[in-house]
Parts: sequence; structure tokens; C-alpha cells
Amino acid sequence: MYLVAHIDQAICSETACRLCTQYCPEANTILYDNTAKTAFVAVDRCKGCEICVGICDDLAKHHAIKMIMITDLKETFELSKEGFRPESWTGQHP
Amino acid sequence: MSLKNMTITPGWEKYMTKEYVDLVERGPYGKQKKVSEMGSFKEVLEEHPMCAGCAMTLFIRLTMVGLPNPEHTVLIGTAGCGRLALTQTSIPFIYGNYGDTNAVASGLKRGLEVRFKDQTKDVVVMAGDGGLADIGFSAVMHSWFRKEKFTTIMLDNEVYGNTGGQESGMTERGALLKMAPKGKLFDKMDMIGLAQTSGVAYIARLTPTNPTRVASVIRKAVMIAREVGPTFIQAYTSCNIEYAIPTPKVLDDAREIESKRYGFMEIISDEAKAYLESIDTSKKAKK
Repeated sequence: MYLVAHIDQAICSETACRLCTQYCPEANTILYDNTAKTAFVAVDRCKGCEICVGICDDLAKHHAIKMIMITDLKETFELSKEGFRPESWTGQHP
Repeated sequence: MSLKNMTITPGWEKYMTKEYVDLVERGPYGKQKKVSEMGSFKEVLEEHPMCAGCAMTLFIRLTMVGLPNPEHTVLIGTAGCGRLALTQTSIPFIYGNYGDTNAVASGLKRGLEVRFKDQTKDVVVMAGDGGLADIGFSAVMHSWFRKEKFTTIMLDNEVYGNTGGQESGMTERGALLKMAPKGKLFDKMDMIGLAQTSGVAYIARLTPTNPTRVASVIRKAVMIAREVGPTFIQAYTSCNIEYAIPTPKVLDDAREIESKRYGFMEIISDEAKAYLESIDTSKKAKK
């Protein structure tokens, strides 16, 4: 099994830094919901490099991103299944 | 390619892949997207097989956001890590033979100017330090001497990352690598100095530690290449495999190298500066 990034949306939605979306090396992996004002991860694209964790902890100092086992996620957002459809994002992200 | 060619014929959307429909409807085309909007628009870069946490991937991703007209751009690359991601963009990519990237780009740019008189097509060469400074060196230099109007971007990871870690001309003196066990005996090539000597209109050296800066440098370089002359960007994109950098430390390493010897540097010719100012004033006048 492997680790993927997971964003605590309660912490993230209180800020508007969006730094993780800019520093992630993978395209369209950390997505940003403009209505709920939070970032969230498309787990099928996350390669588990942990760059976002360093950015959130050291640069932004929000400590909202943790690496967790993919099997510990009850629900997942997968871009290959859902497609890139911001209009369908309801603010509830796994 | 142009936006007209990409747009799906009405009624055919259901036969196209999700990714393609998303790209046409929610992509960056027709409007200049900002780095701060990343994550809320579909990017031209798709999934690719580059290593986890690769700084080069980050740089390529930011480059794609910085391109002023991705629908009117042609990318040229060669063997090396960068092409693994560059081939996964929705931008036409030409896989040059090792050594001839800038020669191909010269011919292509001239050809496009003849074929598309009414459109502006951007040609961007993106290859590694091996592809441009070692094997493609003569083609690179001569394209600069001839003042060919396209952008050359060097993804400088200071090693041949794809073939097991041989030293390249851009490797630092003394660097120990798998295939350079005694350490490199020669200095890093001064490509910036060579670019200056050969009269490149816009030269920049940077690391991907500041995403907004990467995008703005790319935009400037492509715009200047349209009107003024050749442009060159040298970007430090570490190889975390060959230099054994743990992936969470990739950006710390980039910041460290940036402060030591790879600080942000921009050399603009007077003509290019005047051109950039004229763009700014015409933009303000429109507002």
C-alpha cells in the first residue's frame, strides 16, 4: 500500500493561500474548490512525494496536509472517474 | 494547432474522452490563466510517467501555465527526462534527434511564418542540459548567432538522469555521480555567458522556487522571441534520483542552490526592454 496527501479541509478553508496547488509537480492533482474555498486531492494522480506537506508546514505554516495510507481513506476523489468538473463540486470532498 | 481545430463539432462531445472535453471547455485557451488560479482550471499537461517529486515536472507544469498562447505553440524536445512530460501535453511536440533541436526549431519557425501569415505561432525548445549544452551545443549556438526567433529553455538537472547518472557539461565541478565516481574534473559550462556573447535578446536563470516568477519569465521570453530575437532560459530542475534528494526536500534543495549559486538573474537587451514596455502601455491603453 502507499501514502497519498490528504488535506484537512476545516483548516484549509480558513485560509486562502493556495500554495499547495502551485507547488505540486503533478498537474490537476491538488484541486481548488472556489465555492468552499478549500484545496483537495485527486488521489489517483498523487504520487506521494510530500512536497505539499513541506509547503503547507514550512512555507504557509497551516499544517493542513498529512500523508495517509490510501486504504485508510473511506471515500476518495479520483479525477479519472469524475473528470474535471468544478461546477459539480458541492463543497463536500473526501 | 489552433483553438478552432481543437473545438469539438457540436453533437460529438459524447464520443470524445472526458479529458479532451474538459480541456476544451475548462482549459486555459483564449484567456491568460494566472498561477494563482492553478487547481481551478484544466491544465494542458496530463498525467505522465516522470518520477514522484521531480522539480523538472514542477517547472514544466508552471511553464505550461506561463505560455501566452498554448493553442498556437509548438514544443520541440529531444531524448531526456523532460520529454516524458512534454509529450503528455495537448501542445504539438516534435521529438528532435539528439543534437538538432534548435536546427529543427529554426526551420519550423521560418516555415510557420510563411504558412500562417495571419497568425502568430510560438516555437519553444525545451530540452535538458545534455541535449542543449553537450550534444546540441553547435545547433544551439548557431541558432543564436542567426538570431532565430524562438525560445530555448534548458531544464538543467546537472546530470544525464535518464541513462544512469553520467556527468554533463552543466554538472558542477567535483560532483560525485554513479557514472562519475571520481567527481567531475571540469567547471560547469557558462551558458549564460555564451548566450550573452552571441547576442540573445532575453536571458534568464531561475529555479522553480517561485511559481509566479517562473510563469512570468516564460511569458516574457516567448513574447520577446516573437518580435525581437532568440531568448534563453536556464532553469535548475534537480534530479532527486541521481543526486539522492529525498522528495520532501526537493524544494529545500532548490532554495539552497538558489541562494548559493543559482540566484534569479535576468539579462534583457535594450530592444527587448522597449518591446516589453510597448506591450505594457498598449495593455494599459486598452483598459
